[in-house]
Amino acid sequence: MTRYILRRLVLAVIVVLLVTVVTFVLLHLLPGGPARGVLGVKATQAQIDTFNAAQGFDKALPVQYWDYLVRLVHGDLGDSYTQNSPVTTLLGERLPKTLLLTVVSTLLAIVVALPVGVWQAVRRGKASDHVTTAFTFVLYATPVFFLSLVLIILFAQVLPWFPAQAAQGETVGELLSQPGSLVLPILAGTGAALAVFSRYMRASTLDNLAEDYVRTARAKGTPERTIVWRHVWPNSLTSVVSMLGYYVPTVFGGSLVVESMFNYPGVGLLFWTAARNADFPVLLGVVLVIAIATVAGSLLADLLQLLIDPRVRVKGARS
Amino acid sequence: MARHPWRTALGVTLASVLALSGCGGSQEQHGGGSGAPRTGGTARFALPPSATPNWIMPIAIPGYGASYNGAIRATMFVPLYNYDGSSGSVALNDPSSAADPPRYSADGKTVTITLKPLTWSTGDPVTSRDVEFWLNLVRAGKDNWGKYSEGLLPDNIKAFHAVDDRTFTLTLDKAYNPDWFTANQLSLVVPMPQRAWDRTSADGPVGDHDRDPAGAKQVFDFLVGQAKKLGTYATNPLWKVVNGPFTLSGFTAAGEVTLTKNPKYTGPEPAKLDTVKFLTFTSSSAEYNVLRAGGIDYGYVPTSNLGQQSKLEAEGYRVEPWNGWSITYSPYNFNNPQLGKVFSQLYVRQALQHAVDQNAITSVIWRGSARVGYGPVPQDNDTKYLSQRQKTNPYPFDLDAARKLLADHGWKPGSDGVLACAEPQLCGEGIAAGTRLSFTMLTESGSDETDGTMQELRSEFSRIGVEMKVNAQPLNTVLANGTSCEPADASCSWQLSYFGTQGSWYFPANPSGEQLFATGAGTNFGSYSDKHADELMTATNLSSSQQPMFDYSAYLTEQLPVLWLPNPPYQVSAIDTALHGISQDPLAGLQPQRWFWTR
Repeated sequence: MTRYILRRLVLAVIVVLLVTVVTFVLLHLLPGGPARGVLGVKATQAQIDTFNAAQGFDKALPVQYWDYLVRLVHGDLGDSYTQNSPVTTLLGERLPKTLLLTVVSTLLAIVVALPVGVWQAVRRGKASDHVTTAFTFVLYATPVFFLSLVLIILFAQVLPWFPAQAAQGETVGELLSQPGSLVLPILAGTGAALAVFSRYMRASTLDNLAEDYVRTARAKGTPERTIVWRHVWPNSLTSVVSMLGYYVPTVFGGSLVVESMFNYPGVGLLFWTAARNADFPVLLGVVLVIAIATVAGSLLADLLQLLIDPRVRVKGARS
Repeated sequence: MARHPWRTALGVTLASVLALSGCGGSQEQHGGGSGAPRTGGTARFALPPSATPNWIMPIAIPGYGASYNGAIRATMFVPLYNYDGSSGSVALNDPSSAADPPRYSADGKTVTITLKPLTWSTGDPVTSRDVEFWLNLVRAGKDNWGKYSEGLLPDNIKAFHAVDDRTFTLTLDKAYNPDWFTANQLSLVVPMPQRAWDRTSADGPVGDHDRDPAGAKQVFDFLVGQAKKLGTYATNPLWKVVNGPFTLSGFTAAGEVTLTKNPKYTGPEPAKLDTVKFLTFTSSSAEYNVLRAGGIDYGYVPTSNLGQQSKLEAEGYRVEPWNGWSITYSPYNFNNPQLGKVFSQLYVRQALQHAVDQNAITSVIWRGSARVGYGPVPQDNDTKYLSQRQKTNPYPFDLDAARKLLADHGWKPGSDGVLACAEPQLCGEGIAAGTRLSFTMLTESGSDETDGTMQELRSEFSRIGVEMKVNAQPLNTVLANGTSCEPADASCSWQLSYFGTQGSWYFPANPSGEQLFATGAGTNFGSYSDKHADELMTATNLSSSQQPMFDYSAYLTEQLPVLWLPNPPYQVSAIDTALHGISQDPLAGLQPQRWFWTR
């Protein structure tokens, strides 16, 4: 198993490296480069040349990439062109806020979705199951930006209960000081996850309800509630819990949209502004963070499966 | 375990939401008010989409010269001369300037300036030395100053002489048009607190370092280094030394800026509000959502949402376009290897200009918020620089006139309806037989109005036999690719470009065009070159008469160095009807010290 974990770790590093290569090349192949965009229409050619020399854009692409990797190894992601701060500082300020948003959204989705999924499975084929299924399908098919707009119109404009934008501040504490402003971004982030988790939980529970051990328990006269919550629930949870890791990129992707819609000062907003300003170091930094999170998420999922499913453990040990 | 876990979960969720809704509060009230001015209070102003202020020092390095940086900075560091449109035309605004109007000598080569009795927040007076300090730093760091153009400030100032603490003279290298020199050169000068900033390190002693060029460069580099530390703006003692009506009290990494009233301001216009907050948004739709929810006092309405004007008005906002001191155009690439020679023919440019239906574009696509533009001088705010020729539009929308011009010069439609040169001797020098009138417009993406404008142009051009293809790219790409080039350059493949969704060019107070249309000028992207036009532009900079500007306006209106297009507003604003004292300055400046609440 140790060899399996080590191999997965090495693979994870290779994947992150590949992501940096692809992203670096794509960003630097964008026509025009960042100088004109950063310096504006009034910049002279001399100023553009100075900018390119200062940023190392006058070097060959492989040399630029190597320089980037060397800096990366030293924990230096470069400096933002427009914000003059090291990218690591910017990420350090924004990442906790994005994590707050994504973690709370995901937890809320889990807390609601899992019991709903079980309930649907138990009531399979009944009207309440059909209604809930229809609702979750609609939620699943609703783009995050649209759900955000609906929430804003409903709860910020028609019923002015919550602000349409998140609190602006330097720290997570400042965000938490205005909890009302977190409600709509969190709800928007919760929507899609809730639909996915409840569908998964329903399917997983149905599978388990059809297993022999359930039939045996029923034959022994075990109450249905005990069967569901003591035997089926933990077994059904395993597949959903392992899926959590794979869900990390989706959560990050959704947060980009949510942050943009609600002016939430997280990594998504940072990415959006950097994209508008061709701020390559920031773009690379954010992509790297998302890549690492994605790889870490899938690694976590594999490890969780390894821990909770003996069959995978045996297979992993053989491989 | 609860009997109905889903009900428990639902109950907990609803209870949490209801509890939090108590924290959220109700929608804020706009409009109303007694009509009587009240002092104090806070106003929240929405900056343009993705605009994040990132510079505080009065000398901005390249890339940090955004108008909102300057507008915010001017509330803390009063410029020597401030121009705005608050009087109804673009003119010197005396109360918000640090000096009395300049006096030019009879030979035009010496300017005498007297400072107003302003005081720094340290208690020190604003003196001639503070202007000398600015000048010395700009001289030392001019290559890294975003406003520097070779031969202009500071190169054109031969000597600085302090007459006394508040009066000084500048000796110029030649006699300039005083109107142009004050508006476009002296307006760049900002007195800086020499007694606080003339140091080479944060804990180094204050001295006269700037009087030695090497020392001045060290001071310049130190201040630039400090200005690059955005996270310290609100706390750095350097930036606390201000002479304007406001001082900086908050500056977040996301770009939110908070200004508070400067209690030590001694000038003629103390702030009426206690606080002004500048809010940033990633997109106009995010801003509009907050505006509709009442979270902004002075914001903007995307033109695609102008259909909701009545709703905004019912919520207590007034909706007003904010016209810029700007022009909007598409440069022709006169050096393009395929079509440069074609664009060089005046009759071709005239035909294309005749095919631009400016009235339709302004009224239908911009929903009435843009203004027509026929020449090189801004024409929707102030007409004092406008020639009669530009006012009356020599090339009105007339497809028949366009077709005739092209037909008379030997262009005939091919099998696909696109015109091709059939008689080279008539088409013009360098145009080969068979050359097709087909070009690609490199245009900025992301705007419905720009997309609509491009479709309208394409449609009208096709009706005169001209094919226009559209290549939409992000603004940065358009700006980077649509620059001046030589025909042999690989980068010279662009043919026409458009970067005018918020106006192509914003002028300083005097709308001379030497940076845009002079031969070899930095922003003359299409490499337009005309000897007479160059002479006229030089004359606008040197002569004190108005006539050269009229001549310049008339000549370039007729010569069409670019395709003139409707000029969009800086923005369409939504302003709380209880917030007064606002003048939407066409130079994109702000004077928040004049804002006040009546509620």
